[in-house]
Amino acid sequence: MWIYALPRGPHRDALLLRPGYHEPEADLYMKDDVGGNVGRARFQALCQALRPDLLRFAFWLSRDLALAEDVVQETMLRAWKARDSLKSESAAKPWLLTIIRREYARTFERKRLATVDVDELIAREEPMLAAAHDQDLAELRTALFKLPEEYREPLVLQVLMGYSTAEIAAELGLSTGAVLTRLFRARKRLRVLCGEDTSMDPEDTPEDLSKDCES
Amino acid sequence: MIECAQYRRAMLADPHAEGPALSEHLAHCPECPGYRERLLRFEGRLTRALRIDAQVLPQSTQVLRKRVPRNERVRRNGWLAMAASLVVALLIGTLWLGAPHSSLAADVVAHMAGEPDAWARTDVAVPAADLAPVLAEAHMRLRPDAGMVSYAQSCLFRGHRVPHLVVQTDMGPVTVMVLVHETVATPRMFDEGGYRGTIVPVPGHGSIAVLIKGEQGDLAQVESVAARVKDAIVWTG
Repeated sequence: MWIYALPRGPHRDALLLRPGYHEPEADLYMKDDVGGNVGRARFQALCQALRPDLLRFAFWLSRDLALAEDVVQETMLRAWKARDSLKSESAAKPWLLTIIRREYARTFERKRLATVDVDELIAREEPMLAAAHDQDLAELRTALFKLPEEYREPLVLQVLMGYSTAEIAAELGLSTGAVLTRLFRARKRLRVLCGEDTSMDPEDTPEDLSKDCES
Repeated sequence: MIECAQYRRAMLADPHAEGPALSEHLAHCPECPGYRERLLRFEGRLTRALRIDAQVLPQSTQVLRKRVPRNERVRRNGWLAMAASLVVALLIGTLWLGAPHSSLAADVVAHMAGEPDAWARTDVAVPAADLAPVLAEAHMRLRPDAGMVSYAQSCLFRGHRVPHLVVQTDMGPVTVMVLVHETVATPRMFDEGGYRGTIVPVPGHGSIAVLIKGEQGDLAQVESVAARVKDAIVWTG
């Protein structure tokens, strides 16, 4: 199965051109001494604490563990360079997630990867998908791999990162109605892929679900 | 009242959504409560599927080091492997004893899932007669300035009995696990599985893990509580 991974277009360009996105420097670990050792250690500890969730997010975004690791590492270097724009530690996670999304988009820009073979990705990441030692979870992870990025990303932000609909909308540059529609379609498609009983699931929905969800 | 299709569309978009119209429909519809229950079970599986175990994820000790591009790593790896195997053979013993265990934080977080009732916000303290034996197992006492202890259990953790305490603070209940058998070289903060915390070394007495539920506060606040609790411990053995 071939699908577009990150199509070229205004959305990706907007992602790359947002203000506050810093260009990478050379090896910061070797050169940097601004902020002193204490600031660096503190920042490093914060990144280390957030790293598991950042890796999970990057993995579900890219469906490639090695690429996810590269993206997260590059993200932390960029974040260190731009650390003055971080207002408080509690805002660190959403700030880093935004940088991950941009870095992921840049990766595709550099490598000009237009398409990915989902079956190949599933085969390559099989050890990761099956790591739960639970057949149910392994099937669900495989189904998540097959979900188009436009549905997978808001779902991961909601379920894994605990983002509200409004926060997802702000991060992805969408209306809340569009986010709700994508979340609805994501779960509906996942349930089909997992062989769930969908006889009571409603039919597909109009583009804007916000009226139903405001009820 | 909204229709079943509207209710189910809202649930599929967000199974935890709430609102008067949704509640009213749920109260009166014969079928949607069962539908919601099945959807929430699916949501639980989805959450577990997305939350890949931290132990499976690649570890890194230097998060601010520039990574070598992957194709270059492949070229270098052949030469590096030979040299590295010699170095590793010499260092592995000492590193194993001195380094913090990579999955300690994950184990602490996993332990929380087994005792959800411990997180209650309360002003009822554990009686001193119940608290003392839990602390005595770790050869310690706790001065009152640690804060009010609302929960105290002696828990099995990595093959040892350890005190599992909950201290009530301004930001709500904070869990403290006294890990006299687990050594860490430096403080290690973590933020995973919905919990934020830190594991701090206690020279000669292992370490203590201090954590909160994610939404309660930030890591700086946790560190402050950890320092206070650590200072309030009196070691008796």
